[in-house]
Amino acid sequence: MGVVDKHSLLESFSVGRGVVKPSRKLYIVEPGNVRRVFEALIEKFGYGGFYLSTIVGTDLKDEGRIRLDYYIVLLPEEETVVLRTFIPRENPVIDSLVDILPGALSGECETHDLLGVVFRGNPFLKRGFFAPRDLVEKGEYPLRKDSGV
Amino acid sequence: MKRPRLLGLVLKNLVSKPATIQYPRVKTPVELDFRGVQYADLGKCTGCSLCAIECPADAIKMTPIPPEYEVPKTNPRRIYPLINYGKCVFCYRCVKVCPTNAYIATNKYDIAGVSRLTSEAFSLTTLRRVGS
Amino acid sequence: MGVTKIVEISVVTAEIPVGPQHPALHEPLLLKVYAEGEEVVKVEVNTGYNHRGIERLCERNTFYRDIFIVGRVCGICNAVHTNCYVRALEQLLDLHPNRRAQYLRVLAMELERVHSHMLINAVMAEIVGFETLFMQIMLDREKVMKAKEILTGSRVMADYVMVGGVRRDIDEEKRQRIRELLLKLGPRIEYYRKVFEEDETIVKRLVGVGRISYGEATSHSLVGPVARGSGVKIDSRVSDKYDAYGEIPFNLVTRSEGDSWARMMVRWDEALESIEMSIYILEHLPSDGDPVPDERRLPRRFPPGEAYTRVEAQRGELTYYVMSDGKGQNPYRVKIRTPSFNNIINSAFMYIGHSLADVPVILASLDPCISCMERVTVIDLEKNTRYRLDLKQLAGGKP
Repeated sequence: MGVVDKHSLLESFSVGRGVVKPSRKLYIVEPGNVRRVFEALIEKFGYGGFYLSTIVGTDLKDEGRIRLDYYIVLLPEEETVVLRTFIPRENPVIDSLVDILPGALSGECETHDLLGVVFRGNPFLKRGFFAPRDLVEKGEYPLRKDSGV
Repeated sequence: MKRPRLLGLVLKNLVSKPATIQYPRVKTPVELDFRGVQYADLGKCTGCSLCAIECPADAIKMTPIPPEYEVPKTNPRRIYPLINYGKCVFCYRCVKVCPTNAYIATNKYDIAGVSRLTSEAFSLTTLRRVGS
Repeated sequence: MGVTKIVEISVVTAEIPVGPQHPALHEPLLLKVYAEGEEVVKVEVNTGYNHRGIERLCERNTFYRDIFIVGRVCGICNAVHTNCYVRALEQLLDLHPNRRAQYLRVLAMELERVHSHMLINAVMAEIVGFETLFMQIMLDREKVMKAKEILTGSRVMADYVMVGGVRRDIDEEKRQRIRELLLKLGPRIEYYRKVFEEDETIVKRLVGVGRISYGEATSHSLVGPVARGSGVKIDSRVSDKYDAYGEIPFNLVTRSEGDSWARMMVRWDEALESIEMSIYILEHLPSDGDPVPDERRLPRRFPPGEAYTRVEAQRGELTYYVMSDGKGQNPYRVKIRTPSFNNIINSAFMYIGHSLADVPVILASLDPCISCMERVTVIDLEKNTRYRLDLKQLAGGKP
């Protein structure tokens, strides 16, 4: 099970390709497929075969959508690959990974608190995880470009 | 029980001099090029404000030079960078970006005190008073 | 005589808040510990006590000002933060510093690794009640702080890395002085490593506490010495070979025990490796030109693009994502993922089954850095009066 297998698995789900400098391979997937990709990774390579490094949410206000990047480090080669998906800005909902991959907890909680992405099925999501109380009361997400923070 | 490994060291320390420095009474030794208080040499400063724009902590404010000082012709707007050391993070970005190398870097670090400390006193001594 | 009445106390779950201000923790973090008797059954990690909004602040400042802002995410690991961010900028600009600059960057980061590892080991000694050892380690840590002062001009805040190189060069005299300090420090670290290996206090408190397996470490995204203590071979220095790490020989330290003691031993071994690397750098410093770029002539415009850089900080893999839209002087998005962010929040499972007294030990074995973990929002809240504090005002003191 080399790194080639892992890439071909990711490729089978992808609808687009790209590169993040310096030469990190990027696979664009449908938002509905993200959970399936991780399920397949766990099923085929086990928990020891990769780890989820971080979830980067970016507010693309002009395009009216939010971009979610899952940075995965493939083990034991330690190669970083990017799983990218786009969700609408008005209704940012995506399936949670926390029940199959506990390491997603920190990233999902942070992205929810600061960007307002709802991870469907994550029971630990709450406002005020990082954001202070007055922002939470106003219902604002500090990393959105129009939040005024 | 085994004799604790640290025992020898502890006994040695009992008879040796204290390692701490009694700071205000004894000065901490610092390097000659330690990043300490920096200020503008107003003989060279042209008042271009680049340091104030680049300062990551917004500690530099361009301020008019008082009229009793003679200002070189290269500084037509008669302004100079006034550094508020309470805000300054001593990253020396201002020293490095200055187009005329006007900044004087020192290794002075003991600036804690009750009054607000700025570079006013340091910078203005680099100028001559009118008539003197 | 004898027992006349037996009162049975049923086991109830008590909720014990550890933190945000607590003698066992040095930084603000709330662990809500649920305990049955002495046994911990559940831990909730509560965060948000120290949030400063660095990511948003970066979006509102220029690329170059951000170099100094990200250095202030965390005092202990400021050189690695700056290095990671600067390398992301260099990827965007397609700039490559010369070899001497790369070696000097590695030197600054390795000196920082030594002092950070000594600090957390000292703090661990203090937490288990071994104050003498704490004092002794901190005393010897002064040597590496001095070495860092000679190299960068400041004991802690290095501000050493700049786009295209480093901010000051070293001459022959400085090179010799740093080398002598490191040669003196090496035997001291070996001595403390032996103390940690043999001393009864340390061994009794650390061995077998907070054990995690290989699979748990990867599925919970634990990084750095925590993962390496469980035998996971991850180290960005080995895989990414950034800066001069491809040319400097060093060993990847792992241990198989997976408990708190193994994590501390990984740190001691890494500190020894770092000292050897630093001495290697000082002896093999290439001289292929001036490592200090002229900061006045650096490019002002950044082309659109995105870069994701990783660096092996003292606490594990630190990643920066920088996106430029090519329109202004400011980055469009800066995402910082610090190692403590994963290690603290995802580690609630590690406490279960241990006694209450082990909670600080497990937390300290993760090398928690709260200021690294909490970075993102701009507003602070005091009592019920609300006002915004940004970095400028924080520095000025007046809102």
